[in-house]
Amino acid sequence: MAYTEEELKKELETKEYEYGFYTDIESDTLPVGLNEDIVVAISKKKEEPSWMTDWRLKAFKAWKEMEEPEWANVTYQKPDFQAISYYSAPNSKPKYDSLDEVDPELLDTFKKLGISLDEQKKLTGVAVDIVIDSVSVATTFKKTLAEKGIIFCSISEAIKEHPELVQKYIGSVVPQKDNFYAALNSAVFSDGSFCYIPKGVRCPMELSTYFRINQAGTGQFERTLVIADEGSYVSYLEGCTAPSRDENQLHAAVVELIALDGSEIKYSTVQNWFPGDKNGKGGVFNFVTKRGICEKNAKISWTQVETGSAITWKYPSCILKGDNSIGEFYSIAVTNNYQQADTGTKMVHLGKNTRSTIISKGISAGKSQNSYRGLVQVSSRAENARNFSQCDSLLMGNECGAHTFPYIEVKNKTAQIEHEATTSKIGEDQIFYCNQRGINTEKAIALIVNGFSKEVLNKLPMEFAVEAQKLLEISLEGSVG
Amino acid sequence: MLKINNLHAGVEGNEILKGINLEVNAGEIHAIMGPNGSGKSTLASVIAGKEEFEVTEGNVLLDGQDLEDSAPEDRAHKGIFMSFQYPVEIPGVSVTNFMKTAINESRKARGLEDMPANQMLKLIREKAELLEIDRKFLSRSLNEGFSGGEKKRNEIFQMAMLEPKLAILDETDSGLDIDALRIVANGVNKLKSKDNAVIIITHYQRLLDYIVPDYVHVLHEGKIVKSGTKELAHELEAKGYDWIKNGAVV
Amino acid sequence: MDLKDKLVSSFLAFESKVDVEHPVHDIRSEAIKNFEDKGFPSKKAEAWKYTSLKGLQKIDFSIFPKEVNALEYKEVKKFFLHEIETYKIVFIDGIYSSFLSETTHDGVDICLMSAALTKPMYKPVIDVYFNKIASKDESLTTLNTAFSREGAYIYIPKNKMPKKPIEILHFSTGNETSLMLQPRNLIIAEENAELQVIERHQSLTSNEVLTNSVTEIFAAENAIVDYYKVQNDSKAASLIDNTYINQKDKSVVKVHTFSFGGKLTRNNLNFFQNGEHIDSTMKGVTILSDKQHVDHHTLVHHIEPNCESHQDYKGIYGENSTGVFNGKIIVDKIAQKTNAFQKNNNILISDKATINTKPQLEIFADDVKCSHGCTIGQLDEEALFYLQSRGIPKKEARALLMYAFANNVLESVHIPELKSRINKLIALKLGVRLGFDL
Repeated sequence: MAYTEEELKKELETKEYEYGFYTDIESDTLPVGLNEDIVVAISKKKEEPSWMTDWRLKAFKAWKEMEEPEWANVTYQKPDFQAISYYSAPNSKPKYDSLDEVDPELLDTFKKLGISLDEQKKLTGVAVDIVIDSVSVATTFKKTLAEKGIIFCSISEAIKEHPELVQKYIGSVVPQKDNFYAALNSAVFSDGSFCYIPKGVRCPMELSTYFRINQAGTGQFERTLVIADEGSYVSYLEGCTAPSRDENQLHAAVVELIALDGSEIKYSTVQNWFPGDKNGKGGVFNFVTKRGICEKNAKISWTQVETGSAITWKYPSCILKGDNSIGEFYSIAVTNNYQQADTGTKMVHLGKNTRSTIISKGISAGKSQNSYRGLVQVSSRAENARNFSQCDSLLMGNECGAHTFPYIEVKNKTAQIEHEATTSKIGEDQIFYCNQRGINTEKAIALIVNGFSKEVLNKLPMEFAVEAQKLLEISLEGSVG
Repeated sequence: MLKINNLHAGVEGNEILKGINLEVNAGEIHAIMGPNGSGKSTLASVIAGKEEFEVTEGNVLLDGQDLEDSAPEDRAHKGIFMSFQYPVEIPGVSVTNFMKTAINESRKARGLEDMPANQMLKLIREKAELLEIDRKFLSRSLNEGFSGGEKKRNEIFQMAMLEPKLAILDETDSGLDIDALRIVANGVNKLKSKDNAVIIITHYQRLLDYIVPDYVHVLHEGKIVKSGTKELAHELEAKGYDWIKNGAVV
Repeated sequence: MDLKDKLVSSFLAFESKVDVEHPVHDIRSEAIKNFEDKGFPSKKAEAWKYTSLKGLQKIDFSIFPKEVNALEYKEVKKFFLHEIETYKIVFIDGIYSSFLSETTHDGVDICLMSAALTKPMYKPVIDVYFNKIASKDESLTTLNTAFSREGAYIYIPKNKMPKKPIEILHFSTGNETSLMLQPRNLIIAEENAELQVIERHQSLTSNEVLTNSVTEIFAAENAIVDYYKVQNDSKAASLIDNTYINQKDKSVVKVHTFSFGGKLTRNNLNFFQNGEHIDSTMKGVTILSDKQHVDHHTLVHHIEPNCESHQDYKGIYGENSTGVFNGKIIVDKIAQKTNAFQKNNNILISDKATINTKPQLEIFADDVKCSHGCTIGQLDEEALFYLQSRGIPKKEARALLMYAFANNVLESVHIPELKSRINKLIALKLGVRLGFDL
């Protein structure tokens, strides 16, 4: 017999979080709570120059005056910012010459996650900068990159080694005061990645970072800064999984992309933070500010597959400042059980002949709420701006919700904007057709969902696309049709 | 191979099949003809295991095994294939990807490993040629924007790929022009062997000029009212279904 | 004194003019409290993000006209759909004009709100319908409720249909330097009833007028309501139009809004589908110039299964004008098999014009078909060239293309004389003399 709806639901609910395990590594953790002293202490622990400390303090002052935003279509128990520890670093802190020196337990964790460094080194040609609880412990392929003049390191290292670049660009796209979470991040960011591609250089490999939250009660405040100098190209991958926990974990990252004249940045994310259990208990709060600025003829392309987190608040955006610049946003957001996602993008057209594309695929199952929120803004000087947006929602079951909030603001008569949105479900006839060809219902759903998401999956680099497809399957396995 | 005993089935308490008896052996081609609403498509769906139809009496046996508790995919794994009258669109899923999934799922059910990619490619190429299908066509989304003829040809292509024991062609000739009909019929004929069987469900005799049946059955009001050889199809064509309808009343 | 304070303090004066013992007055008192709490909405409110009422609040509006004014029919004939016979409910500076009106009680009631709110024979209807779907929370609606006294009252009993369309006209004479009006309409179509209404607000001078109107429409089982809003007011007239529509099984309600005139216009059009197999349609053509501002806010709340809604709004924005479209569709969990469609197409024809649009879907049921499409673009240059090459001057060619762009909204106008009137208004607005309805 085929699955009944009930059976499918049950199976889905009992599906344990695949990567729900906890690594026991001693950590060096600051006391909980947040005040100026903590901000200074973080800066000191990281041996930062005084300009950085001042920059953090300025952000902290701004943050104190700000209120947590409430406009998003999500409800949750607000985190107690004084109950969070703002810094933790694995004890085995020194960098290793080879993987053999790395804490074997840590390596084991990576294996469970399917990111064996050895394999990656040999097979994928991906340089991996791994962030475990905020401090990078292993960096590979640095040499190859260095030969091209590419800088790819932790942001802490960049602050020390390349202060002129960091000082010039940090906060230039996402200012300290931009929003509540960005301000918090600016004050307390622990670590993150830094990347600089020199003029005319095409980065020969996909750069990737894996993030993990690992210390109970430790917030993660990653800061990423990617600078593509004139005429350069880089593809940056970011993926994350997190161990299963009861209490909520706060993640407030900031990603800034700077695409100078004629350059291109492709930023891809597969996000699989712990979404909470089937009763909506636990799970990561993911409040992320991601924004890029495009100078003349530059292009920024955001691609994201969001399957995790209890709450997602995230709008990777493009400021199309330069003439002929291009912004793209391709997104798949899957919500299940009690997950809530409010995600989308902003395309701000300032320059002439700027173009943007938005493809958003929302898939809601269980009791989840999935919202697309987008803004397409064409300023009065942005002659010949073009935008195409498409937001499709797929609802699975009758206890979830799909919402679209697209804002379109146009002040120039030469603009051409097209926005389309649809809502659909998986048809019983589609399932039966697949069944008749020997494909079971669960697999059929995966197939149909993958088809629904194809336009976005196609935008991911190959190795990521496979991982993303798997994630979609895991997130929706057994969902009702 | 297939044995249907006193099959009664319907939907939401509404009986459509009212006692069907039919036996199909390996190597045979059976044609089931009948006017609209006689239950032809219901019979096909019941054999394939569509859940919306409820079997109230009788049974369907495949190689002596009762199919009652088999899910549609299990029946497919056992070698039942149905060519849909109205093939369903699945956006974003290419014909190739769909076939790859279907074949590997069937292999998994039989305890086999996934088919190696090169072998899959070879198989696809071979079968596409058989059905005169352009390779580009295979990368299009399943049935999305296909013409009526393309959809039907794609169904027979899938049949060729899956090599079923029993193929049920539900109104495969409807919506086909003469060239497409010839290609489809040619495909079916080439796939025919002494080990498999075909049930052709059709309203018209047209397809039977190309695929010659061993037996012809006439379905009327949920029952097989007349069985015979291919001559019966010609007789039907000449005299129309009223001949049977009146006969059934008598 | 700012406008809010003036309004709140005027309520006392208002109370001396109405029957404070009538149960409706309790509703008014509640309403003024809500308005007092909330005041005029500011741009901080999501629903008012793109429309500011600040400028209007600075004007010292008269809340009540000082005297009763009269108008000659020939002065205002052109504002009526005079080509055909209609019932007319006419107000001059907010006061009913029996001279210009043509009401009836012949099987149907087409008359005055002031009568309905005071005469005992209407009390059962008022008890059941008055202020039942109008928001008790939205500040401008409650402001109107607080001062509700006059407007149109239309009651069509079961299986009835008035013999002719109904025109509701509000004239402002300009005898006050600036005047605020708050008409309140109640329209009830019982089972199988059918009616057509044309509503128009017209200021006759360039003095400031602010109209804050509330209309409640109830369509019972199988009722058909066809409602046309003609908004072609003078450049100093502003309108906040709040319309609330409650539909029951198999009813069909269509609202067409034609916005060509006025200074600031805000349309809040709300549909509540309290039944199955309901059809709700809202269409609009907006053509703006100068510094005009028109904001269309639509809401369709699909509460029950098997219903449909259709929205189609076209906008053409010239000079320094601003257009806003915010269409919200909510599909409740039990509202399966809903079909909700929304379209919003805009053309900007000036460097200084702005369009803000936000088509919004909130879907809680899985077996539904919902879609919205929105475009912003220009006239097709090639089509323009083609027309010019056939000898049509550029201005006329542009007008023709704009007309074509808006045309499918006009197709569903069921009163031919109204359709040709709208065509003329469009031609006038586009500054051409083409007879479009060839």
